[in-house]
Amino acid sequence: MPSISHLTEEFFRTLPFFWKPLLLTFELTVASVIVGSIIGLFVALLKVSKFKLGQIIANVYIMVIRGTPLIVQIFVLYFGFYKMIDLGQFWSAALALAIHSGAYIAEIFRGSIQSIDKGQMEAGLSLGMSSSQTMRRIILPQAMKRSIPPLGNQFILSLKESSLAAFIAMDELFSLARRLSAETFDEMTYFLIVALYYLVIVMIFTYVVHRMEKRLAKGDV
Amino acid sequence: MEDKQVMIRVQNLKKSFGQVEVLKDVTLEVAKGEVVVLIGASGSGKSTLIRCINFLEIKNGGDILIEGKSIDPKKDDLTKVRQKVGMVFQHFNLFPHKTVLENVMEAPLIAKKADKEQTKQEALQLLQKVGLSEKADVYPSSLSGGQKQRVAIARSLAMKPEIMLFDEPTSALDPELVGEVLETMKQLAQDGMTMIIVTHEMGFAKEVADWVAFMNQGKIVEMARPEEIFNNPKEERTREFLNRVL
Ligand SMILES: Nc1ncnc2c1ncn2[C@@H]1O[C@H](COP(=O)(O)OP(=O)(O)OP(=O)(O)O)[C@@H](O)[C@H]1O
Ligand SMILES: [Mg+2]
Repeated sequence: MPSISHLTEEFFRTLPFFWKPLLLTFELTVASVIVGSIIGLFVALLKVSKFKLGQIIANVYIMVIRGTPLIVQIFVLYFGFYKMIDLGQFWSAALALAIHSGAYIAEIFRGSIQSIDKGQMEAGLSLGMSSSQTMRRIILPQAMKRSIPPLGNQFILSLKESSLAAFIAMDELFSLARRLSAETFDEMTYFLIVALYYLVIVMIFTYVVHRMEKRLAKGDV
Repeated sequence: MEDKQVMIRVQNLKKSFGQVEVLKDVTLEVAKGEVVVLIGASGSGKSTLIRCINFLEIKNGGDILIEGKSIDPKKDDLTKVRQKVGMVFQHFNLFPHKTVLENVMEAPLIAKKADKEQTKQEALQLLQKVGLSEKADVYPSSLSGGQKQRVAIARSLAMKPEIMLFDEPTSALDPELVGEVLETMKQLAQDGMTMIIVTHEMGFAKEVADWVAFMNQGKIVEMARPEEIFNNPKEERTREFLNRVL
């Protein structure tokens, strides 16, 4: 176990190296959550639709993502995107993560959509609006609001999961820790330091989500 | 025969949920400008009947004609039918993320693609009509139950329906708030709106209804003028029901 003073020393010594990987981790996470949300919304709408084939496609997608290890998904999707359609490194990795988180985000959206009182759809229909108009104008805005706290949690998960991008040669946080430890054989020090980085970001973000949750709860009916 | 225009004709309507037959051969006719009050015990099928007329439930048999036209839920554009047939629910079902004014404007703007400025003027007039002008810009959560229900009525009227259906519009209200909603509905009746109203407010039925229909176990057992139903019911089951509720 490295001493506290050694850890502190190394933390400050390596601080400048961490800036770029930190940014990349953040970019990967934001990109994958945004794209994942778009995928998730589309899949959630398929799931709540009456369109049988759509439901089947959505279910198979969610089953495959839930039923296989993330690292395997990342390798398959990354090399698929990178080699076959030449998306470049960043977007291949971001899309791989997005397709993964999309399945979980779809379940978040589906849950929120189904949590909206049935009377809302009936009110829209009884007023002569179509079901898609009611979905878009009445159900989704309310469901989106309810999705914000669980989406915040998904963001935290995605942030941690983005560390697996180190294995596809992305120079993000975890990858830097691996490199530093390989150079110095002082593994514990750098993995502890990178853990601290993740922990601090997650704590900051948890706080933000918590605050948002409280604000939303106040505005609720 | 009188040459009244029939707005709603329900013919031999059947509706089941799974194995349970909830509506058994219901036949009902409502002429233009008439108010029909539906009464009956809990579970007798009143809600199911008016939900079928709004096509929120799809019948298993029989026929529903709106202004003389038989409606096939599979082929006909139900949004067009529902623009003629408004519905007010027991639990209001206002849109909580929209202000009172936006609630009233929503359907004309979205379903009819109506002009925004004109829709707004009409919505404000409707809010005035139900006595809620000063609440136009608040959210439904800050309204009392009676106010919510009056907004729901205004919202429905904004589509200029020919027919209005009410499913126990005052049942979720505190007793002291029932009157204001009934008053609004009475106004509507006086304006000549064709209405079917499910209610337990027998005083209102006596005063406002042109016809009272008593439902029992999925059938309309008796339909007559209010004075007849209340003073001299023909059917034993009607008499029993009224003895219990009056
Ligand atoms: N969606 C549904 N699925 C299954 N059964 C239903 C459904 N809706 C209604 N029912 C059943 O149909 C019967 C009639 O219900 P309905 O709501 O029409 O009665 P009601 O006369 O409106 O009663 P209440 O006065 O309690 O509102 C009841 O036995 C009810 O349990
Ligand atoms: Mg009912």
